[in-house]
Amino acid sequence: MKILIADDSRVMRQIVIRTLRQAGHGGHEIVEAENGADAFSKIAETSPDLVLSDWNMPEMNGIDLLAQLRASGSPVPFGFVTSEGSAEMRQRAESGGALFLIAKPFTPEAFDEALRSTGLV
Amino acid sequence: MHPTTHPAIHVAPGAGDVMAMVNEVWSTFVDAAPLFPTSPIEADRSRSAQVRVTGAWSGMVTLEVSEVAARAVTRHMLAMSEITPEDVTDAIGELVNMIGGNVKSLMPEPSILSLPMVAAGHIAVPSEATEVTRLDLLWHDEPLILRIHSLENDTRSTP
Repeated sequence: MKILIADDSRVMRQIVIRTLRQAGHGGHEIVEAENGADAFSKIAETSPDLVLSDWNMPEMNGIDLLAQLRASGSPVPFGFVTSEGSAEMRQRAESGGALFLIAKPFTPEAFDEALRSTGLV
Repeated sequence: MHPTTHPAIHVAPGAGDVMAMVNEVWSTFVDAAPLFPTSPIEADRSRSAQVRVTGAWSGMVTLEVSEVAARAVTRHMLAMSEITPEDVTDAIGELVNMIGGNVKSLMPEPSILSLPMVAAGHIAVPSEATEVTRLDLLWHDEPLILRIHSLENDTRSTP
C-alpha cells in the first residue's frame, strides 16, 4: 500500500515513518509532503491508498486539505496525526470525513490500531 | 494584583498536568533518560521556540534550551548522528508544537494554535503576558526551561 505523510516538520515525518515500522507497517511505500497544498498535488500525482496528515501546517492546513480533497471528488482514506487531540478537534476531524485522529505523542500501537480500523491492512 | 480597569483572570493549566504531559512527549520522542525538575536556573538559553494559542484561552508556550541540548534533542528525535542547522530548528519547533498542542487541549476551547517560531537567543515576552507556569528542567545536566504565559484576550467577541 502507498501512504502519503503530510507534515511541515521533516523530523516528525521521520518519526511517523519510524513508528509505522515499529508498528509492523514498514513495508509500505511512503510519499512525503511538506504542507497541505503540496499534499493535494502529490495525492493527484501518486494516488495513495491512505493519507496521514498533520493538522497545523503552512500554505494549507490539514482540515482544509481534507475539505479540498472531498470537494474535488477524492475519496482517499484520510487520518490526522496532530498534537491537538481534544474532543473538539476530534469532532471537527470526524465531521470533515477523517477516519481517525492520532494525537502526538503517539505509540506504535496507536498507529497499528488506526491502520487496522481502516480495513486497508 | 493587576491594577487594570478590567482585571484579567489568568487561568493556568496545572503544573502537574503539564509536567506529566512533557514527560510523555519526552519519553516517547526524545529520550528514555528522564527530565529532572530543578530550582529556577539562569542558564544558557541560546535556542528558543514558542507557539501561541488564541481563543477562549489565549497564551504562549515557550521552550528555551542550550545549544548543546538543542543538538542532542535533534539527534535523538531523528535517530541520526549527522544533523543540519535546519534539523535543529525543525526539531525544537516540533517539540514546542507538541507541548503547545497538548496545553491547548487542557484549556477552554475553541482556540487556534499558531505555527511554531524558533529563534536564536531567549524569548522576548510581550508586556501583556503573565507567566502562569514555569518548569526548570535538567536533561543530561543540560537546562531546559518551559514557560506558559497567559495573554489577555484582545480578540474576544462581544458576549
